[in-house]
Amino acid sequence: MSKKVQTDTCRTVFADNINCEKDSAICIKNVTKTFNQWQRDNTGKGLIRNLIKPEKRIITALDDVSFEVKKGEFVAYAGPNGAGKSTTIKLLSGMLLPTKGELTVLSMSPQKQRRTIMKHLGVLFGNRTELWWDHPVIQSFEWKKVVWDIPDDLYKRNLAMVTELLGLEELLKTFAREMSLGQRMRADVAMMLLHSPKVILLDEPTLGLDVEAKRQMIAFLKQLNEKEGTTIVVTSHDMDDLEEMAQRILLISKGKVAFDGDFTKLRDELECTKRAIVKFSDGNEQIIDYQNTNKLLAKLSKMDGITDVIFTQTSLEEGLANLYKKWKQ
Amino acid sequence: MEGNRLPTDRITFKRIIKLLMIAAKVDMVWLLRDTRFAIMGILGDVINNLAMVSGVFLIAVRFGGIGGMTTDEVLFMMAYSTLVTGIFMLFGSSNNIHVSRIIGRGQLEHMFIQPLPLSTQLLTNGFSPFTSSSNFIVGVILMMIAINRLEINVSAVWMLTLIAYLIATMIIIIARAYLVSSIAFYAPVAAEEITYTAIDETWLLSTFPLSGMPRFVQIPLMTILPEGLMAWFPALILLNKIQAGLLAYYPMLFALLSALTAGYFFRKGLRYYVQKGSNRYVPYGFRR
Repeated sequence: MSKKVQTDTCRTVFADNINCEKDSAICIKNVTKTFNQWQRDNTGKGLIRNLIKPEKRIITALDDVSFEVKKGEFVAYAGPNGAGKSTTIKLLSGMLLPTKGELTVLSMSPQKQRRTIMKHLGVLFGNRTELWWDHPVIQSFEWKKVVWDIPDDLYKRNLAMVTELLGLEELLKTFAREMSLGQRMRADVAMMLLHSPKVILLDEPTLGLDVEAKRQMIAFLKQLNEKEGTTIVVTSHDMDDLEEMAQRILLISKGKVAFDGDFTKLRDELECTKRAIVKFSDGNEQIIDYQNTNKLLAKLSKMDGITDVIFTQTSLEEGLANLYKKWKQ
Repeated sequence: MEGNRLPTDRITFKRIIKLLMIAAKVDMVWLLRDTRFAIMGILGDVINNLAMVSGVFLIAVRFGGIGGMTTDEVLFMMAYSTLVTGIFMLFGSSNNIHVSRIIGRGQLEHMFIQPLPLSTQLLTNGFSPFTSSSNFIVGVILMMIAINRLEINVSAVWMLTLIAYLIATMIIIIARAYLVSSIAFYAPVAAEEITYTAIDETWLLSTFPLSGMPRFVQIPLMTILPEGLMAWFPALILLNKIQAGLLAYYPMLFALLSALTAGYFFRKGLRYYVQKGSNRYVPYGFRR
């Protein structure tokens, strides 16, 4: 497991010498991934410069990242836009090569043993579909059975399971293009699970889903993790969803792991998690975010015309928004 | 890091057949989904291809042949060209030959998550015998008519020679498609349709008999832009129109060199892709 060596404002930095357990589901060791970003301006001088020597900026998507996910864990992988979440998912699925460092999924290298890993890994990007667009859902499932070479009995068992748990009975004969986003996502998740993956990577699986579809998806993933012991890594911007699903959260910022722990610990580490809404006799109200209750009481005692004080907590989402803002600064 | 602990399934001939079968099944149900429109599409393909080859054939009929080739020999060449188009369509219906579209649209990532080598996926996933076999069937019929009219003695050796040339022609087309598609790794937006430009836009040239044309036209069309190898040169050899000697193996040699060159640049492009990634993803045209 990684070793915590330093903590600053809500940032936990991990030691380089991470030692993953032999049977870890995911192990990322000192992984760095950089991309080139071409820079162009539309001035005459800029166009000429671009012809001779195009300007490029190096973007560090992941900067010496190390962490381990044990088998059976349900991990939330969160961070602001451009933090490196999707890059990590792509590295773990063998779609990208790391610039530096090494990573394994089920003790295998995604870059060297992609085919073997894919027999045991499920990957789903919320903004993409693996379904055949102009075919009924069951046709996509049958295609997957052949491509993944899923044995008959396993296919039948998994098909029955996902049909029941995801309520797909009525959707199996429906064309993918005619389904709503929520229905399509359920069908995509079902298809991903047909080969009984040991580890699943979900990039924004609740993206664009309505409240009911989201609830259904979350309940299903929790059940999958608890009953089948499937290791799940899920990225999302919706912190409430992540908190409901996962036991552990990995926060990533500017390509570095900024926090690794459970949600209670995260709440503790976030500043301004307590809030008082003060109502006045003239109808106005004031919101005070505080950490120290004595200081708050002292402040309140100096105020006139208070009719009511409501004590609440800032949401995790709000706390993180503040944190992201701070990181940007 | 530990080594491989879980078994990888081997790509056997049986597995390839299974993958071709599921591609065929998907194709069949797509046809049955809306048979009327599928039949209209098939007829459209046939008319399009027949129009392309009949233009040259009608010129041959009007002038009693072209450049030393008789009308029936031109018909044979057109049959060969239609067969090539037919095989291209039979195995290339999912952009697996127009691969610049897959690369340019960032859709290779859908392929990376399948537990199959990319080569196996590209070989099998475009097989569509129900909706795209019309040109192949028309090609076979035209070939039979041409053989009958030319009274060719169809021996086993002749058949094998025909198959060898068809394979060489297909390799040249695919190699060309993959060679130009390698550009899409570096310029995904600009080169998304480059295969279409390189293959389909020059297809008409491959149906024209080059006999009687000056050398400065023939040589570039046998080397730089190998349209002469698409139908004309193989037809001359198969019809015994020229005593080529070792030159008869030139299409095979060209196919081999093209495949090696394309393989080198495609793999280089693929390495670039997995290092740099694709910042473009387009969902259309991925799966029908």
